Amino acid sequence: MNPSNAQLLQLAIATPLVAALIIALGLPKRFSTKLAAVAFVVPALIGLWLWKEFPAAAGSRYVFQSNVNTGLEIFGISLKLGLNGVSLPMFLLAAIVGLAAGLYALRSGAERLKLYLMLLLVMHGGLLGVFASVNVFFFYFFHELALIPTFIMVGIWGGRDRNYAAMKMTIYLTIGAMLSLIGLIAIYVKSGAGSFDLVSLREALAADPLRVSLQKNIFGLLMFGFGILVSLWPFHTWAPLGYGAAPSSAAMLHAGVLKKFGLYGLIQIALPLLPAGAAWWAWKLALLAGIGNVLVIGFITMAQRDLKQMIGYSSVMHMGYCFLGIACLSTVGAGGVVLLMVAHGLSVALLFLLATSIHHRTHTFDLSEMGGLAQKTPVLAAFFVAATMASIGLPGFANFWGELTVFVSLWHYSPKLTAVAVAGVVISAIYGLRAAARVFFGPPSEHWQKVSAAHPPADMGWGERIPAIILLAALLILGFYPRTVTDGIDHALSRPAGPVTANVSFHH
Amino acid sequence: MLPVQIATLILLLPLASAVMIALSLRQQGALASWVSTATAAVVTILSLTLIFSGARDFPASWEWLRFGTFTVSLGFKFDDLAALMLFVVSFVGFLIHVFSLGYMHDDAARARFFGGLSIFMFSMLGIVLADNLFMIFIFWELVGFSSWLLINHYHEKQSAADASKKAFIVNRVGDFGFLLGIVMCYWSNGTVNLTELADHHVFSTAIPLLLFCGAMGKSAQMPLQVWLPDAMEGPTPVSALIHAATMVAAGIFMLCRIESLMVPQALTVIMWIGTITAVYAALCAIVQRDIKKVLAYSTLSQLGYMVAAFGLGSITNGHGVGAAMFHLTTHAFFKALLFLGSGSVILGCHHEQDIFKMGGLAKKMPLTFVTFTLGVLAIIGMPGLAGFFSKDAILYLAMEENTAVFAVLAFTAVLTSFYMVRMWKLVFLGASRSDSAGHAHESGLSMTVPLVILAALSVAGGYSGVFGKLAGSVAELVPEAHGPAHVTILLVSLAVMFVGAGSAFFFYKSAATDSLEEKSRAAFGALTWLKESFDRLYDYYVAKVQQRFAMLLNFLEQIFLAGLIVRGLGGFVGLVGYGARALFTGSLHTYVYWFLLGTVLLWAFATGFL
Repeated sequence: MNPSNAQLLQLAIATPLVAALIIALGLPKRFSTKLAAVAFVVPALIGLWLWKEFPAAAGSRYVFQSNVNTGLEIFGISLKLGLNGVSLPMFLLAAIVGLAAGLYALRSGAERLKLYLMLLLVMHGGLLGVFASVNVFFFYFFHELALIPTFIMVGIWGGRDRNYAAMKMTIYLTIGAMLSLIGLIAIYVKSGAGSFDLVSLREALAADPLRVSLQKNIFGLLMFGFGILVSLWPFHTWAPLGYGAAPSSAAMLHAGVLKKFGLYGLIQIALPLLPAGAAWWAWKLALLAGIGNVLVIGFITMAQRDLKQMIGYSSVMHMGYCFLGIACLSTVGAGGVVLLMVAHGLSVALLFLLATSIHHRTHTFDLSEMGGLAQKTPVLAAFFVAATMASIGLPGFANFWGELTVFVSLWHYSPKLTAVAVAGVVISAIYGLRAAARVFFGPPSEHWQKVSAAHPPADMGWGERIPAIILLAALLILGFYPRTVTDGIDHALSRPAGPVTANVSFHH
Repeated sequence: MLPVQIATLILLLPLASAVMIALSLRQQGALASWVSTATAAVVTILSLTLIFSGARDFPASWEWLRFGTFTVSLGFKFDDLAALMLFVVSFVGFLIHVFSLGYMHDDAARARFFGGLSIFMFSMLGIVLADNLFMIFIFWELVGFSSWLLINHYHEKQSAADASKKAFIVNRVGDFGFLLGIVMCYWSNGTVNLTELADHHVFSTAIPLLLFCGAMGKSAQMPLQVWLPDAMEGPTPVSALIHAATMVAAGIFMLCRIESLMVPQALTVIMWIGTITAVYAALCAIVQRDIKKVLAYSTLSQLGYMVAAFGLGSITNGHGVGAAMFHLTTHAFFKALLFLGSGSVILGCHHEQDIFKMGGLAKKMPLTFVTFTLGVLAIIGMPGLAGFFSKDAILYLAMEENTAVFAVLAFTAVLTSFYMVRMWKLVFLGASRSDSAGHAHESGLSMTVPLVILAALSVAGGYSGVFGKLAGSVAELVPEAHGPAHVTILLVSLAVMFVGAGSAFFFYKSAATDSLEEKSRAAFGALTWLKESFDRLYDYYVAKVQQRFAMLLNFLEQIFLAGLIVRGLGGFVGLVGYGARALFTGSLHTYVYWFLLGTVLLWAFATGFL
């Protein structure tokens, strides 16, 4: 591959990390914000360039590859970067949500802005690294790099219950990460490949698969480990609490991008390396996700009064669709999941951003105290309606394609579970439209009249609009022309050597 | 231009108009309204070109998405059925755009309104042109969104906000079945392309019934009819366009599209649901005071007629599509006319909608009166007008095929002429019963010209010279009575019309109170109860069952998951936390530097420096 593109990929990951380091070394504040802005923009531009350069036919093969010797070759650990059809859209997601979250943070007026930006940059760099890593060790390392700033940000800038939320998030996510780490190490040890390189692991295990019982155990570890990170029911309670407390940019990046680490791990690592284990666990995973995440959490979402918690629960619910797609063990299902991950990442980030913008104006997250904002802030209302419509799967937005594809593949697996999943579409319409109506429509509430009299509200300024437009534009582009990413995903997943191996391949 | 290019333009122009209005014309209401209306005009011209060029079934399909063996494509199926529907949507749509120029002239959010109309036209045309079920579903959902947007136009009113939400959610309940039906159809037949499905498909009762769920939502058939009366919260042109002439008819159109998949058991269900909806809604219409609500229930009833006709005709003799589409077309003309007429009345009476506060408008609004009267005569089946032919076709079909359905539909026809004449008399005859009606004035040209054109179509639309030209081979499917049957059905129709109209004319006085309520409290109460029972039932379900269930689950979640289990774990971790606190002194910088130091150490370890 073109060496300069490989270097661009490295540059994209390095920029935010280096910028964070420079800020930490004591750069004055006014330069820090400028540097941070550059460091948020550069990866997005590189991401778009690599997307344009990416040959869809590359499939599951990694392109833009580079390999940096870390001195640990003896353990098979090297900083090997590259993108394939599945990781490219995720990388792009990280770059775009990172850009939006970063731009929003610059205008957020947070206290200790320098520290805030620095942590956000570390998180951003980590996220970009996760999806560009070909080496499983660095895949995990970058995840931790992104995760730790999240805890700190919740602990320092969080809202209500921030200490409890930070602690709970830390416990859950650390346990989840540890379980999956054990699983990954087990694969490394048992594969006999002597390497953490995903390509070598795939080759080794394709030639000589692990024993079925071993596969079952390792897949179980990965499923629950990654599952906790993605808020698989009933290990989800950290998510609404954490997102409810997290500052907006951290919530955008975590819910939008970092959370997808677990799903991405299942698709890129667990499914292709442990097909028999996956087959054994699939039905259990589907039940947990279908009944737990979609149905139970769907109803719980309806009962929420706090806007941010409601978005948090809705995000847990939508993760259910992702697990269901994975449980289908098919190209269609996994493809739908990748698309849904990207779509959900964009839409949930947009919703968290807008929730904060609403809070700036109403000084509350309590839905029962809001009402009639649309008269004073029509642009904010339009964005919120668009984000809601995206998240409830209206065609024209990316989420629709992800959900549709998951439903189609799920029917082949279990028509009954499909009915449960499709019922979720009605449930999400109920809570989504209810929230939009509570906040924006009808006559102004008493609370809102008081607040707007004391602080006359302005509609969205450009500082809020630009990040929102970036996210909305991405949702619409994928909604109207999904093939910009799906061709690559399809090639990556349906190639015989792809994640779907011969014994659990997809039959029409 | 090639037909496929024309079709593409027809589909994309309204989208371009909506995008343009949303991006740059939000503050320029006048310009936005002209952009939207000019687009509708061009779309109508292109549609007429396409329809009368004779081009049919030209190949057009593009792949939209592919995962493995699963593909979704975007394509056109342009046959005579689509051509007829295209005419109805584009032409009636255009007239309603023109009417809105006048009706919405003083509205502060005019740009949003016209942007909404454009996005609606885009979505509706997508359904009409679609060549496969996935594509129909996509535009189907978009139609639901535009309907939400436009019902919610007066969003500062709680009732409008509630009505739009209800419409969207009830439609989604229908779409639950619709989507499952499409997915099931995909796996059973290996395709969702309409042409391929017509050629070969497996026998299934579940698939057509699931697909029918979608039609129940969009076309507001029982028990999903509850959203349509509430949808009258939207501006009156929206009620005419979306909730009378086109969108609610999309369910009927979709049924005609999938006629080949139908099986007798499913058709029997469809027939009875349509029949029951027809009579139920007609009964409800009798006790309405709001001019738009009368028309809304009347629309429900007529949609029931179409659904019943589809079921009835398709079971035995293949006349279902013809009868349903014939009535759909004439109904689009006269119901759009009646709704726009009511809009003219409402504007003339300074936004008074209560028919008992009107009266005597015949002299004050002569053009509206004449056109509205033609609309009323068309819907009650006056011989020679459009509604007479299409309703006769359905009654004839019922008489031949199913006596029970025939009896119910004939009774519905009596009710139809009863409530229509009641409304007509109370609005236009007698003396003015309120100041607003006393000072009523005729509307401007942009509103009356569409009324005149629609009135002309309501008169002429039933003749084969007009309908046959538009519908092509669909017109050949319309059932026609011959010989003695012809005389019988003509006599039945006339009797039905005169009984209903005559009794309403002599029963209702020009008074500020409902004569029925005065003379027979029991009957009035029963009908009111009938109308409200569904809303009560649903309200009870939403507030008492669904919301309580959600609260209960939330409570359990907070107690068991967030509370007990995690505090248990938390207790253990609390201990660990004490240890950790020794390291984290509470200073933020310490916290951050520990983290950075850790990262550096790890890297150093990784690169072999340590």
